[in-house]
Amino acid sequence: MLKPSLNDLLKSSFKSILKNKSRTILTSLGIIIGVTSVILLTSIGNGLKNYVTDQFETLGANSVFVSPGKIFNDNGGFSSSSMGSMVLTFTQKDYNLLRRKLKNVEIMPVNATYVDIKSNYDIKKGIEIDGTNEEYGKNNNIVTSKGSGRWFTNEENSKKAPVIVLGYKVAQTLFPKSEAVGKKVIIKGKTFKVIGVADQKGSSFGGPSVDDTVYAPFSVVSDLSGKEDINMFSVKSPNKDSIESTKKEITKIFLEKYDKDAFSVFDSSQLLSSINSIINVLTIALTGIAAISLVVGGVGIMNIMLVSVTERTREIGLRKAIGAYPRAILIQFLIEAVILSCFGGFVGVVLGSLGTLAISNFFPAKVTISSVVVAFGVSSAVGIIFGVAPARKASKLSPIEALRYE
Amino acid sequence: MIKSSSKNNSKPVLELKNITKSYITGTNSFTALNNVSLKIFPGEFVSITGPSGSGKSTLMHIVGLLDNPTSGEVLLNGRDISKLKEHQLAQIRNVTLGFVFQQFNLLAKTSSLENVLLPLLYSDVPKKNRHQIGVDLLTKVGLQDKMVNTPAQLSGGQQQRVAIARALVNNPQIILADEPTGNLDSKSGVEIMNFFHQLNEKEGRTIVFVTHDMELANQANRTIIIKDGKVTEEK
Repeated sequence: MLKPSLNDLLKSSFKSILKNKSRTILTSLGIIIGVTSVILLTSIGNGLKNYVTDQFETLGANSVFVSPGKIFNDNGGFSSSSMGSMVLTFTQKDYNLLRRKLKNVEIMPVNATYVDIKSNYDIKKGIEIDGTNEEYGKNNNIVTSKGSGRWFTNEENSKKAPVIVLGYKVAQTLFPKSEAVGKKVIIKGKTFKVIGVADQKGSSFGGPSVDDTVYAPFSVVSDLSGKEDINMFSVKSPNKDSIESTKKEITKIFLEKYDKDAFSVFDSSQLLSSINSIINVLTIALTGIAAISLVVGGVGIMNIMLVSVTERTREIGLRKAIGAYPRAILIQFLIEAVILSCFGGFVGVVLGSLGTLAISNFFPAKVTISSVVVAFGVSSAVGIIFGVAPARKASKLSPIEALRYE
Repeated sequence: MIKSSSKNNSKPVLELKNITKSYITGTNSFTALNNVSLKIFPGEFVSITGPSGSGKSTLMHIVGLLDNPTSGEVLLNGRDISKLKEHQLAQIRNVTLGFVFQQFNLLAKTSSLENVLLPLLYSDVPKKNRHQIGVDLLTKVGLQDKMVNTPAQLSGGQQQRVAIARALVNNPQIILADEPTGNLDSKSGVEIMNFFHQLNEKEGRTIVFVTHDMELANQANRTIIIKDGKVTEEK
């Protein structure tokens, strides 16, 4: 049986810690800062991952993407060589080839360009306009809300009908006071009829979001850009299990025509895991840097515990003289160190959570249970590791010399 | 009641056999105790005295199991304790011995009651009994109205009475006091000595105390005089 009981040890440890309130707070400060930053950084990393996942879900399930250039390297990360520099674009011939050879799938070519859009109220500059077909809108659930109009049809595509679907934010800017559907907008001097407004997909940080994109029939966008080229194919596979076989088929078809580094065939999960692995590495690196302050905090605790052992030398001598065995003294000082660092850990978790809450107003940060558990675990471990040396020193004091200490 | 005269027909509670204690500092060796043997019998009231530097404090530390002799045996109830481990010695100090110090050595900012109960933290006394034991002892030393006071709020004599209550808390076989009146005014000193007399005469407790004051030493039933690390006289 432990003598004194854990309860008694905790009580006397709390008492001696509370005798020096300002010292306790200052000592714990290192741990508080460390834990707060660890919690904040993991929350931000985690929120970022959730956000990216959500964004990818809007890309549509069971979709396979075919894009020019080599997007992924052999390790599953992004390729550095051809990212962004898309040497090749696909052609109508490629589209026809895919249509001829692929069965049971829906193929959606996407042709993107940037334009200025004008309404009677306002103008939006440098907006991405995606030219595509009827299936694209359907498969990606772009226009579903009641009263927000409709997506264009393949018939409108073949007739080059001047119709347009506005992204949610674009519609709000161009038609702040009234319903956008049915109104007219002007692009490059041509008049377009707004037939639909895309559902809001959520906030974005920094980069453009789909809320800032507008959509028109493929043929219409080709006319606007003056190019027949296709920037990307989105291929809807019949179900989840057929994604891999669809990818293989497309790869086979295009390998007959292009070099293997000239194009990429991927699905959203692949893209997602690549992005997530980048976010993970970043989060771990940043958290690692923050964890250094936990070590610094631990040194602070060790320092103050050594001071405390010196200050309380007589008390230690007395306790030993009246029957405290060395381990009882060791445990008492160890518990004090652990309480100090756990107090720091607790305050750090609270501050980190409050900070996350504040950040979450403009950034998708979220505290995870695991980060709280880890932060708490690490801070108590720091207490034990850095508490051992002072506690051992205390337990090894000779009672007579300790009692004589002035 | 056990009188000192009964020592011849009972076993000693504590016995030192040929105890030598020497310190080596650098190249110099200093012998604090030189071949000291003595016996303490149950119920005795013994004083150890001698000039300063005579080795009486060292003797007290060895008797109190706070220090190890360089050679010789310490027998407690006939059992040689020289080979015991530190935690076993701690248990004996806790249960069998009760210490009273010149400096009182009470925990600051801690109530009298908690100070008295401190040794029980390291004992097997059930928690539920502890409070009452402390209250009873503080009542016994006349401090029933000072239970929540901290040492800073007590006079020297009162602090020493708290320390005596603390020494009694585990109902020890022997009470060891090192200059118990050394830090007190003469009136408080007399009070404390009277209290020791009471404990010895009414309860038959074995008391050993160290003092440099011959007059005080003579109040004991037996006085051991130490000089230059040797027992020179017993009376």
